[in-house]
Amino acid sequence: MARKEPRKLAMEINHRPVTFPEGVTVHRAAELNGIDIPSLCSHKDLSPFGGCRLCMVEIEGMRGYPLSCSTTAQDGMKVLTDTATLGDLRKEILKLILSEHPSSCLVCDERVECKEYQGTIRKAGVTTGCRFCPNDGQCELQDLVEKIGVTEIDYPIDYHGYDPEHDDPFYDRDYNVCILCGRCVRMCQEVRGTSVLAFTYRGPKAKISPAFGRSHAEAGCEFCGACVDVCPTGALADKASKWEGKPDGSLISTCPFCPIGCQIELYHKNGRFTGARANLDPEVNDGQLCVKGRFCLPEVTHHFERAKRPLLRKGQYFRVVSWEEALERVAGELKGIAPEDFVMLVSPDLSNESLFAAQKFARECIGSSNIESTARMELGGGLGLWSSLFSLPISIKDIARADVILAVGLDSRFNFSVVGTKVRKALDAGAKLVTIDPCDSNLAGYTDDWLSPTPGKEGALLKLFADRLAGQKADTSAAAAEAGVDSDMLERALAIISSGHEPTVIIGPRVFHYSDGTALADALMTLAGAKKVNIIPLYFGANARGALEMGVFSEVGPGGVSRNGKGFGWTELLSGSRRPKVIYCVGDVAFQERPDCDFLIVQDTYLPSFKVDVFLPASSFVEAGGTLINMEGRVQQVVRVENPPEGVVFGFMRPDWRIFTDIAKALGSQALSYQSAADVFKEIRGAVPGFPAEVDRTPRRMKPIDRPLIVAARGDKAADGDFWLVAEPGGYRHRGIDIASKVGGLCELALEEGFRMHPEDVESLGLADGDSIRVTWDDSQAGAAATVKADPECSRGAVYFTRRVILGGIKQGRELGPLLGLRQNPARVRIARAEG
Amino acid sequence: MKGRDSISEGGLSELRREFRGERGDLIPVLQRVQEIQGYLRPEAIRIVSRWLKISENEIFGVATFYAQFRFHPPGLHHLRVCLGTACHVRGGEQILLTAQQRLGVDTGETTPDGKYDLDRVACLGCCALAPVVAFDQKVHSQMSVLKIQRILDEHKSA
Repeated sequence: MARKEPRKLAMEINHRPVTFPEGVTVHRAAELNGIDIPSLCSHKDLSPFGGCRLCMVEIEGMRGYPLSCSTTAQDGMKVLTDTATLGDLRKEILKLILSEHPSSCLVCDERVECKEYQGTIRKAGVTTGCRFCPNDGQCELQDLVEKIGVTEIDYPIDYHGYDPEHDDPFYDRDYNVCILCGRCVRMCQEVRGTSVLAFTYRGPKAKISPAFGRSHAEAGCEFCGACVDVCPTGALADKASKWEGKPDGSLISTCPFCPIGCQIELYHKNGRFTGARANLDPEVNDGQLCVKGRFCLPEVTHHFERAKRPLLRKGQYFRVVSWEEALERVAGELKGIAPEDFVMLVSPDLSNESLFAAQKFARECIGSSNIESTARMELGGGLGLWSSLFSLPISIKDIARADVILAVGLDSRFNFSVVGTKVRKALDAGAKLVTIDPCDSNLAGYTDDWLSPTPGKEGALLKLFADRLAGQKADTSAAAAEAGVDSDMLERALAIISSGHEPTVIIGPRVFHYSDGTALADALMTLAGAKKVNIIPLYFGANARGALEMGVFSEVGPGGVSRNGKGFGWTELLSGSRRPKVIYCVGDVAFQERPDCDFLIVQDTYLPSFKVDVFLPASSFVEAGGTLINMEGRVQQVVRVENPPEGVVFGFMRPDWRIFTDIAKALGSQALSYQSAADVFKEIRGAVPGFPAEVDRTPRRMKPIDRPLIVAARGDKAADGDFWLVAEPGGYRHRGIDIASKVGGLCELALEEGFRMHPEDVESLGLADGDSIRVTWDDSQAGAAATVKADPECSRGAVYFTRRVILGGIKQGRELGPLLGLRQNPARVRIARAEG
Repeated sequence: MKGRDSISEGGLSELRREFRGERGDLIPVLQRVQEIQGYLRPEAIRIVSRWLKISENEIFGVATFYAQFRFHPPGLHHLRVCLGTACHVRGGEQILLTAQQRLGVDTGETTPDGKYDLDRVACLGCCALAPVVAFDQKVHSQMSVLKIQRILDEHKSA
């Protein structure tokens, strides 16, 4: 479906000839031409509402004062936006709005003096009675009062006296200052597709709320903050930055939390990073974010536990030391070390610059090919499969253009929400959606067909769809029986998908983590060969693709070149079959206990929970900057927002690439001599084919690496039991920590804690929500115990848990520890009440 | 029908024959649900939500807009207080307030013992008798705070 560019039409606004694309409203046409018509309810991404009535204009030949936000602009229209009559009308309307909106601060004669001579923080609230809004100068209503010039309100005042709502995480709601413009409601319904917010009741009792007075978390809120961003008043405000005041400015950066690579605006005040909002970048996220990008960035950066100084273990003491001393000690340990005694672990959350410098440090300064990354765990199915997937033209933007969408194992509520909004957009344009997921998901609410197979059979079902799209014949009824789905429903879903001309297939991260990925890999390769299918494979680890391209694996070098270095990695480390003398963790702390070695170097933003020998404080993304590669292959910039001098006040953090350079210097090696991130970038350009000369956001296709497509099935022996134990990958990793351990709101939601089961299963076992259960898988009594949550979204006959890779700071991670070693996924297990 | 929520629960299966399951069917569907079950329960809204692909919150928003939908089971006896123009002028608010206090419920709710429900109506069509209340089928005229108390007390003890 090629979309035509809309025609350009011409009209006259305030006697000035202007042009506009066909189909827009008068309000939008004026906005596009830099003419401001006051409005509180219209928004460019939302349907016309006509609620505030401030945008009324005079149009020649039309009776009365039509609303510019709900009148379609037509060729040759003559519009006046700013006459004396309109000014009077607007003033009256604004007064009516303010008669329900506590506004003493807006119309108070003494407001200037009040601010000037504010003696205590409490004063404004106590003396003027205004205790409702943050009064931070980020209020459209306030701006309009100023602009339209309302100085007194001569209507009877009718405030609501609602209690402010603080119970949900991330943002506060105070509907006393709400003007019922409906932007949040339309955003939630039209753009996000979540419909958590609705107008409830009627007349003076009308209020924005979820059904039955439920909390937002219960009602299915994604906490994406889109409603907060469009709110023209202070009714909705971030908890974390509510009282920060007006920011000094913002910089456009890339979100460092997942491989979608959303563009965000980082706000700063007094040189300090204060908050993030979505950027209206049309290429990736188009003004939308998920909870991680919208709310979690400041807390992860400025958490009080942030480790900011080099630390060194001396005997039984762990002391703050200078960089010189720490580097000297590290260099002393690394000098002359045998290559096989050294292992370097690098996080897929690092920038390309740091990843490249890391592998160069290991390979050239130490001469070791023992370099490994948790990217290997996140890219389930093996590096060969993923390099093939990255060689496809992946396009997040084009999901919205699809006419049929197949989503496998995807719940876009808290992770990959931006993908969810694109799906929603496609559905609004008439696309059909089929979901394959044993669990209920947010997409199941509006899917055309929901196939709910036995966990682990998603790949086999996908193969069926792939064959159909590739025009091959397959036995559906046998496949339906094997996967445990209704064959009529499957047949119908197949018909829906094969009717499309531009199919999109989205594969959620859980599916890649099953131990037997043969069917899935097979299906994906069939799809890749079929007619133009847009395949969206989802994984965690923001720069895992960068890790693959920079070559931080013993068998893969920069540019995805296959190397036959005899290095070792996770398999040997975690099983204990190899014991290195020195382990160097660069933001990649995938251990619960201290790994067995003589000298452990950790370079990260937070201290791990176990004993380390040297800790080197690394800069976070806002302090270092750099580039990340998103899943489409775009090389995107992370902008440095904070640039404080190194010292006791702000800390001694250094960018990762710089620390490698410093150690190399201390070792007397000439291999690394970078002065800035740009130096590293230049060198990457030479080493990685196809890497751009400067930051370039065009999607790139990777050359598949010369590796077997699929790592052999990892399952060892089949266990028996009545339930399927399904491991889901953890979605909140960032460097060495799980961000849920640092972000209060995520901690409150406890999305990844313990076990989850269907309420009826919980009941049939004689258990209740919150009880402690023990999961065992063979006669050896090996098992793990944790609390179980009755979650109606889970499928029957299965127990779900989150198998995190990065366990930093998470309390319950320890209890589920024994499950990390379980090779099979899904595995048959037995469940019993945990004793004690 | 897909997924685990089936509309066959709670005697709502016949709705599938009556409607095509489109977004625009929402209000007639809610009316039928209320006819069958007496009021709109959260479970019924969940089922309708899945069926029509409209979120529960949106449905709640629509249903609370209209006076015709109830979210509490109807009581054995209905007390309706008129707040039409004439009754309003003659102090209908006071009557409603007294009824609320006497029954211990809010407008639109039912007493915990399931005996009485309380509603406000816009006009009962006998403005000359204002303020009026309707107790079950009988209309009581020229109410006062004392009279409404007496009616309720007498009925309770009867």
